[in-house]
Amino acid sequence: MPLFIKLFIVSLICALPAGLLTFDLLTDNLGANPVETLEHTTGDWTIYFLLLTLSITPIQKLFSPKWWLPMHLTRRVLGLSAFVYALLHLAIYFVFDMSVDLNEALTDIAERPFILIGMLALFLLIPLAITSTQGWQRRLKRHWQTLHKLVYLITFLGILHYALLVKADLFMPLLYMTLFGILMLMRQFKLPRLR
Amino acid sequence: ADFNFSPNSTYRPNLKLTDSEHALNYNNFYELGTDKSDPPRYADRLITDNWQVRIEGECAKPQTFDMDDLLAFDQEERIYRFRCVEGWSMVVPWIGFPLSKLLDKVEPTSKAKYVEFISILDRENLPGQRFDILNWPYREGLRMDEAMHPLTLMTTGLYGKPLQNQNGAPIRLIVPWKYGFKSAKSIVTIRLTDKQPVSSWMAAAPSEYGFYSNVNPDVSHPRWSQAKERPLGSFFKQKTLLFNGYADEVASLYKGMDLKKNY
Repeated sequence: MPLFIKLFIVSLICALPAGLLTFDLLTDNLGANPVETLEHTTGDWTIYFLLLTLSITPIQKLFSPKWWLPMHLTRRVLGLSAFVYALLHLAIYFVFDMSVDLNEALTDIAERPFILIGMLALFLLIPLAITSTQGWQRRLKRHWQTLHKLVYLITFLGILHYALLVKADLFMPLLYMTLFGILMLMRQFKLPRLR
Repeated sequence: ADFNFSPNSTYRPNLKLTDSEHALNYNNFYELGTDKSDPPRYADRLITDNWQVRIEGECAKPQTFDMDDLLAFDQEERIYRFRCVEGWSMVVPWIGFPLSKLLDKVEPTSKAKYVEFISILDRENLPGQRFDILNWPYREGLRMDEAMHPLTLMTTGLYGKPLQNQNGAPIRLIVPWKYGFKSAKSIVTIRLTDKQPVSSWMAAAPSEYGFYSNVNPDVSHPRWSQAKERPLGSFFKQKTLLFNGYADEVASLYKGMDLKKNY
């Protein structure tokens, strides 16, 4: 199968949650607080895709699988998906929470640390999305990898953004933070090859 | 027994009612779980058989009421705005009777300055009480004059029917000018005290949830603005009203108080 078709199929799979959400939106199935559902779902998927992106290296180390879509491309699609879901998340917030009012959004960012942290995470994702092409990878040489290590910080900020907005039940953000911690530790140590 | 009530014409504002499906399926009731969909899903874990409400403390005639005693009060339907501290709101036809009528029965003494409300404690059956997310049982409180205010409703039903478990059956409080969490659900004890009670949310996050918790668009929650609210079922927000639109009735209770300090 040609590579670009494989790439297309994996991208389509990553777009599935957004597709389901659009379907629910059009069929009025988002529940009592549709905007909250849209925000929470796109936010959750941003974190899932970031954690999936960070899982690629440990998976490679542990199992050295034969990737159906080459590893670097799989990781790229996952990373770009995180970016797209984060953009959707921001757009929904800006349109429905801030009523497309830039002043209101700026005040909100200034007043609420969790909004600022989320915004920071998204802005840090922008250079990574832009330089995700092979051309940029060649041009930046060894700096490319250094730059893309920003994803560690971005994931941390993304989960922190979530943790700071919940009222009392920290179970989910703590679970995500734990998974993030495990994925980071797996980078620090030499892992046994299980396959 | 039949559930009889009659509409109270004083409380029939010209407001569009929230779709009952939303009010019945989107609930904050941490005893049943912290997700909004948990309370309807685990509603049957709340056992309401032989429910009693004990009223005690600073009163001449402390006593225990069965549900039959409580339903013997004239049940009236009132349409109230309801504003959650999280920034969503609804307009609901509640059924109940003024708390003042109930408190009159126990004859509060002059030492009764505050009223504490204590909700059900049932760690065995209530899935949310297996975790100490809040210090169970759920506690709330009002100042005596707030409790005696004619708007303050002991609530036994909504949308023409007895309260569903996820909405705090069989009896709960509704204080329409305060954020929703002040309106304690599934109440088992009402205690008259001379000291200001510490509510569960005050204990959990004192800098975020104060004793008064009056709806106020000008006093932000530390983590989000309270200037606007999103009516359930709607995409766009509307302006939040001071005291949730009940300023004419209740503003005098807080005359001379700094509402930013007494949040």
